[in-house]
Amino acid sequence: MPLSVSLSIEGDTTVIELEGELDAKTAPDFHQTIEKAAGHGTSTVEIRMAGVGYMASAGLRSLVFAQQKVGEHVTIKVVGAIEPVSRTIRTAGLDRSIVLTDD
Amino acid sequence: MDEAVKTARMSAELEVPATLGALGDIAALVLRLAGGAGLGKGASYRIRLAVDELATNIVMHGYRGGDGRITVRGRSGPGRVQISIEDRAPAFDPVQGRLPPEPHTAPERRRIGGLGIHLALTSVDEFDYVRRDGRNISTLTVMAEGTDPCPPRP
Repeated sequence: MPLSVSLSIEGDTTVIELEGELDAKTAPDFHQTIEKAAGHGTSTVEIRMAGVGYMASAGLRSLVFAQQKVGEHVTIKVVGAIEPVSRTIRTAGLDRSIVLTDD
Repeated sequence: MDEAVKTARMSAELEVPATLGALGDIAALVLRLAGGAGLGKGASYRIRLAVDELATNIVMHGYRGGDGRITVRGRSGPGRVQISIEDRAPAFDPVQGRLPPEPHTAPERRRIGGLGIHLALTSVDEFDYVRRDGRNISTLTVMAEGTDPCPPRP
């Protein structure tokens, strides 16, 4: 299943909305959007993942890449991830640096 | 009372080129077997994730982007799915090659990668690896009532 990625700005937040499956095949599309988001210079990058039904470790690499691109002073939020996806993020310990929220 | 989940003993085999494009076919096979075994959403997700991670690792690191084949064999029975993944890349034991996460390293300094094998091994209930006749054979088992949905944090 492909991944659709959209990018928008809401106030001081850059919003990336993902829908589909995030794996080694589709992660490069997400990476391209992260590069664009990093250029916006907002204080928060919000990644809406409610529409992501499956995420492999390639998605974790994307989240680490995102934090590296935007810098440590920018907050990255992952919003609405289904339980197995947030479990994957917690298993990697990434919830220590990335804010995981339901909404 | 809920109607009993219909389960069936199934077996299946798939040989695909070692490319990222083949991951979807592998996932479809695994999910079909998980459905046949009556696995719930969580257990189906775990077996799919584990097989996907090992297959991705074979494509990216085993054959190093070169030509190769991956054979996936699976069987399911009531409440249990077992999948074996076979390749002819250089010997690689996932248990030895596991790279645990680095939760105490700041994300911007973290290595990117290496988590897939860790995720695979923490998603299954049983794991076995053998090197036989020039082939790597990993066998993964997930049960309907199995692994804690969130393993201990690293």
